[in-house]
Amino acid sequence: MLDYRGVRTSLQVAPLTIQKTRGRTSGGSSDRVDASGGASVDSQTTPPATPKSSQDATNAIGNSSPVFHNFLRAFYPFHPDYIANDSTVTLPLNEGDVVLVHSIHTNGWADGTLLANGARGWLPTNYCEAYDPEEMRSLLKALLNFWDLMRSTSVNDCELFGNQDFMKGIIAGVRCLLEQTQCLTREAALVQRHEGLRRSRKSLLSELSSLVKTAKRLQDAQRIASTEDVNDVLDDMILKAFKIITKGVRFLDILDDDRRSRVPAVTVMTPLTEEAYIPLTPPADSASSETTQGHAAAAESRPDASGNASESALSAVGDVAPDRVPCGNRLSSAYQRQSAGAFRLSQNSSLQVNRLSSTVSHRVSLTGPSSSSQLHNLVSERLNTCHDTFLSHLGSFIGRLQLQSQSRPSLALDIKQSTTSGGELLFVVDVVCAHSSIHIGALEQARNAMYGRIQNLVHTARDILSNPGPEMEEDVIVPHDNGRLLGAATGCVKSSGECAARARWVIERIGDFEFEFENGSLGIDFGLSELVSIPEEKVKPGVTEPAAIAESTASADTPTASAAVSVASSADTRARSLSIDKPLPDVPPVTSPVSEQPSLHPSLLAPQTQSSCPLDSSVPSSVSSVTSLRPDLPPLPKISTSSLPAENYSPTEPSATQETDFRSFRSETMTASSSGSASTYLSRDSESSIVSQASTRATTPDIAQAPKSQPSLSNLSMTDSLATTEDEDVESKLLEKTYAHELMFNKEGQVTGGSLRALVERLTAHESTPDAVFVSTFYLTFRLFSTPITFTKALIDRFDYVGEAPHVAGPVRLRTYNVFKGWLESHWREEADREALPLIKEFAEVKLAAVLPSAGKRLLELANKVSGVDGTLVPRLASSVGKASTSAFGTGEAPLPAPVISRSQSNALLNWKAGGSCPSIVDFDPVEVARQVTIKQMTLFCSISPEELLGSKWTKHGGVGAPNVKAMSSFTTGLTNLVIDSILNFEEVKKRALAIKHWIKIAHQCSLLRNYDALMAITCGLTATSIKRLKLTWDAVPAKRKEMLKSLQAAVDFNQNFKVLRAQLHDQVPPCLPFLGMFLTDLTFVDVGNPATKTSDTGLTVINFDKHTRTAKCIGELQRFQIPYRLTELPDFQDWLAAQIDGVREKDTPGSNAQAAHYRKSLLLEPRETQQLRTPVEGPSSLPGSSMFSWIRSNNSGVSAALG
Amino acid sequence: MPSKFRYQPCREFNVVVLGAGGVGKSCLTAQFVHNEWIESYDPTIEDSYRTQQSIDGRQVVLEILDTAGTEQFVAMRDLYMKSGQGFLLVFSITSKSSFEELEMLRDDIIRVKDDEDIPIVIVGNKADLEDQRAVDRAKAFALSQRWHAPYYEASARTRTNVDEVFIDLCRQMLRRDDSHDDSRDEPTSNRADEWGAKRRRRKKRKERCIIL
Repeated sequence: MLDYRGVRTSLQVAPLTIQKTRGRTSGGSSDRVDASGGASVDSQTTPPATPKSSQDATNAIGNSSPVFHNFLRAFYPFHPDYIANDSTVTLPLNEGDVVLVHSIHTNGWADGTLLANGARGWLPTNYCEAYDPEEMRSLLKALLNFWDLMRSTSVNDCELFGNQDFMKGIIAGVRCLLEQTQCLTREAALVQRHEGLRRSRKSLLSELSSLVKTAKRLQDAQRIASTEDVNDVLDDMILKAFKIITKGVRFLDILDDDRRSRVPAVTVMTPLTEEAYIPLTPPADSASSETTQGHAAAAESRPDASGNASESALSAVGDVAPDRVPCGNRLSSAYQRQSAGAFRLSQNSSLQVNRLSSTVSHRVSLTGPSSSSQLHNLVSERLNTCHDTFLSHLGSFIGRLQLQSQSRPSLALDIKQSTTSGGELLFVVDVVCAHSSIHIGALEQARNAMYGRIQNLVHTARDILSNPGPEMEEDVIVPHDNGRLLGAATGCVKSSGECAARARWVIERIGDFEFEFENGSLGIDFGLSELVSIPEEKVKPGVTEPAAIAESTASADTPTASAAVSVASSADTRARSLSIDKPLPDVPPVTSPVSEQPSLHPSLLAPQTQSSCPLDSSVPSSVSSVTSLRPDLPPLPKISTSSLPAENYSPTEPSATQETDFRSFRSETMTASSSGSASTYLSRDSESSIVSQASTRATTPDIAQAPKSQPSLSNLSMTDSLATTEDEDVESKLLEKTYAHELMFNKEGQVTGGSLRALVERLTAHESTPDAVFVSTFYLTFRLFSTPITFTKALIDRFDYVGEAPHVAGPVRLRTYNVFKGWLESHWREEADREALPLIKEFAEVKLAAVLPSAGKRLLELANKVSGVDGTLVPRLASSVGKASTSAFGTGEAPLPAPVISRSQSNALLNWKAGGSCPSIVDFDPVEVARQVTIKQMTLFCSISPEELLGSKWTKHGGVGAPNVKAMSSFTTGLTNLVIDSILNFEEVKKRALAIKHWIKIAHQCSLLRNYDALMAITCGLTATSIKRLKLTWDAVPAKRKEMLKSLQAAVDFNQNFKVLRAQLHDQVPPCLPFLGMFLTDLTFVDVGNPATKTSDTGLTVINFDKHTRTAKCIGELQRFQIPYRLTELPDFQDWLAAQIDGVREKDTPGSNAQAAHYRKSLLLEPRETQQLRTPVEGPSSLPGSSMFSWIRSNNSGVSAALG
Repeated sequence: MPSKFRYQPCREFNVVVLGAGGVGKSCLTAQFVHNEWIESYDPTIEDSYRTQQSIDGRQVVLEILDTAGTEQFVAMRDLYMKSGQGFLLVFSITSKSSFEELEMLRDDIIRVKDDEDIPIVIVGNKADLEDQRAVDRAKAFALSQRWHAPYYEASARTRTNVDEVFIDLCRQMLRRDDSHDDSRDEPTSNRADEWGAKRRRRKKRKERCIIL
């Protein structure tokens, strides 16, 4: 519950326009309604007066119970006699109806979705009570997760539905319900005894089975080119999930009845004791007479409301709204596409009216075409989404351009995607333009500029792609064209940013509004057809070429791509969070589509020919195109990684599992690396997992590049399930022991918490590989929330209990083995993990060997080997090092830059080594000093291992657990001291000024090298109090240099939580040396700011995995930069530098304070100039003399003398 | 103090939290800025350490600079201190050395700020670990008197006195700000702090020791 409160409460302010014009009451439920007192017409902003007079009831729910209940159950029927006009939808309720609540208005009206039929509207909370029975809790929670997931999936369908994880919660929820009611098996006594219960249970299970099947279909649709309309499937699934809940509720009701009949004095769970003979929730297939009556009442009352509506269009909408059969056939009315389509049309007409009257309408969420449309109907939301999509497409395009060779088809595809999404953005902007007559001058300008840019991009691309030069036999774009394309694409990024900003500005002025968004690319014709034809010709050779594919994998990681995307999207996020607006409830669905047809607006009947419409008139097309609410994006290109070793297929191991494993993993990698800003840190993580995955595969050989020829596991299981009867399928699924209900997820579907056994279960899921972030986080951090022994035991336990479910035991056991292997190979830390080794060996020899002999043998080998090896068996980071340096340096063949050191400087160093005089820092070229410092620092930085960064090790016990962190920080400190020391060493003002100047130059060189750590250290030294106060010296420093220093300082400004530095790092590509301190602070606060455990919705205390994900994210971000510079190291210089740093470090012995010592020296060099000028004022402490010498005395006695 | 009512715009103060490593100062900060209803705390966003408080009816925005985890970057302290207008000196009552380090920190602050009256609050953290106490309360109290800085014993774990220390510091900064505004119409800034030493007034500060 807590989980959702934060988010949900933020949505609680509902912009309502509900008229309270209800004087006449009629129909069945009129008694109560009459009692509610005088109807007021005055207020436009509050929902209708609460229909029940007792004010205290409202208060009870509205005020005294601040807890937000996600589910309510009606205990009294509510059939509003007044019905919706264009701006009001109330939800008729029957006793026992369960409602998913989206928000509750302070006056007691709640915006909710009726689970029975998916209708959304306002309902009076005083007719309802919270519904949260123990048995249903985990199922209800699962539904919330499911709902959230479905609503937020417009962007990452592929990622989400590539596996069945999202189904787990529901299944586990049903299992929990059955388990807690002791009806898990068909043979259970209770089930056997009670016929009604048995039937109810069966119907619940078949509903679940139906949902599972739909999900499989969806998963399938993802894999093969999706021909089916995914949105319809999603809607279908949500409805089915609702039905499951409804059946679950019914099941529980029957059970309760049964209990009551057996034990008369039992505490009553539902409020409906005296009316218990009425089925609480109408069953799916029988329309009870009760509900029919209710419907009749509603129908009778309808003319009243339509009379209220003045305009004919309004009345049409009014007709739509109430003309819903509330309950009679709600479950049985299989959700029909046709009706949905009709509804959409009518909705559009309502929208038009709304636009005229500029009020806000309510829509139906679920029976509408797409659940995700909830989020996107607000124009600001849509704008942001479109902009994000556009930028990410452009980003990936630009990223691809940065690489050495691109295959033409993939470029063409990118351009196509970019322009398509650009078209969507333009479309949204047009809608904004059309909606507002004022303020739009600038917006139109920006829009036209953007249009021009996109066209320019398309034309450039067309030129280049369709006129291959003679030299372009290899499908490669020559650099010159590359530049043109790059220019065009960057132009697009810029202009789209401008345009989106303007549009946002306009939206702010005119207020956010909702609109229907059907098909994004409509009306905007960039002449894409020509482009499209190119990829089609070329795709075949391109795809089979592994090199080209590998390039595309890397593309998302390239600098500009992630830079452009991330900057823009972070800005977007902020904008979005500002403009949060609550989606309003919706018009109820049309159950009689035919009767609605005549009321269509004429223009709606126009065929969908807008693609040829001129741009500026594309607004009406929003109304007329009704095919799909979601933008018709071309599917993302399938990207595979060729970094995996290609091996020969050997049929010794069950390869089908490996296959799916591999493939789904691959798709995850793809999403990770192509999802824009989020990918920047993921790249490393996923990379490391690729290696471990690869190594895993190296030992269990099977096909590495196996496209569609091999049947995947889920395909197999699909056919399996088809073969078996559905009941059995579900039964067996349910009988699987699972801890899935002990997991917690966030809105993105990432695991944020869970018990160890649930996390382990996820780690070894049979249907899919968990995402790369999860795996790498787990390996990196499991010692923080578990011990190696406990983890081993949990894995073995998993290996054991999955045996109860024979049909998944095979794959899961293989997974378990793989987890062990990944651990031993790549994540083993001998000193910490040693204790678990005997357990692992025993497991390998006995249990594993019994099931998978070869795997057991292999694991035993590994376990024997691991203790003898220093470090991990398979280095984790090898391939990412290679990749990143390639992307930064191009081919990597560029010669190392020649050292900037003269013969005399070299000789001076040699002389020093031989015992001669020590050269000063000013004797060397700033470029070379910066380089050598950078080499030294990077060596230290690269040696920092992730383990050092866990659990604030570097702050504990003097940092013994983190030697490299310590070395790095003391070098940086030494550098600062060296700066100060080397300046203060000169007696003459001019020489000091020279030294300052020299250090500023060095700092500048460091900034060119993107060495922020050194930049921080040097500017720190230059601005230290003891240097800053040397007025005479600074007067002698040229103004130009001082300006330079200022800008350098600005680059490492720590204010606002290192805002500037973070922004720079975000866009930065290695080699780059970030300021280590910032990561250390982040890690510290992640550690202390997030509790180790959290309480799940079901009251369980679970591991706060979110904390560890954040830790891993920080570390991943740091690791991203652990890539050496390509610079020439000068050993003599390094020796000299080390000696210099050591020299200043010696003075920094404990007890003495280097800064204070520097300050004393500084005072000696340039005494306080105000000393003579000042007169003693206002008390003794401000005597300049005393304050001056207080520093000197302070070390022993403190400052108190003057203060006493 | 201005006796007449004046419109007070929202003040913004930089607070620097200092102390040896491992005294739990980051916990203090996290507890203070962390809204309990935020389920997951992300320290990497811009306003992670920014918080608005109402102090005696006045709105104050606090930007808290806590460089926890970077205690080893000794030389950077200068830089951090420069930005502060108020300082929280944190030690752990279970660690004598962390208490002794305060002296040096305060010297640094006064040197960097060139101001002996800079608002400071001394915090003895980990007050929940009374059985491991290594720093006598009397000692801390003596320091408090010597410095004319209030002393609190706090516990980030039990969330005792967490808000209080920050609010006390805020009061000090506000008071100081007001007196500066009175003496001259220059907006408060680091510049004002730098030269503040000249016109310092000895104020009798109320000394406190909050015993748990």
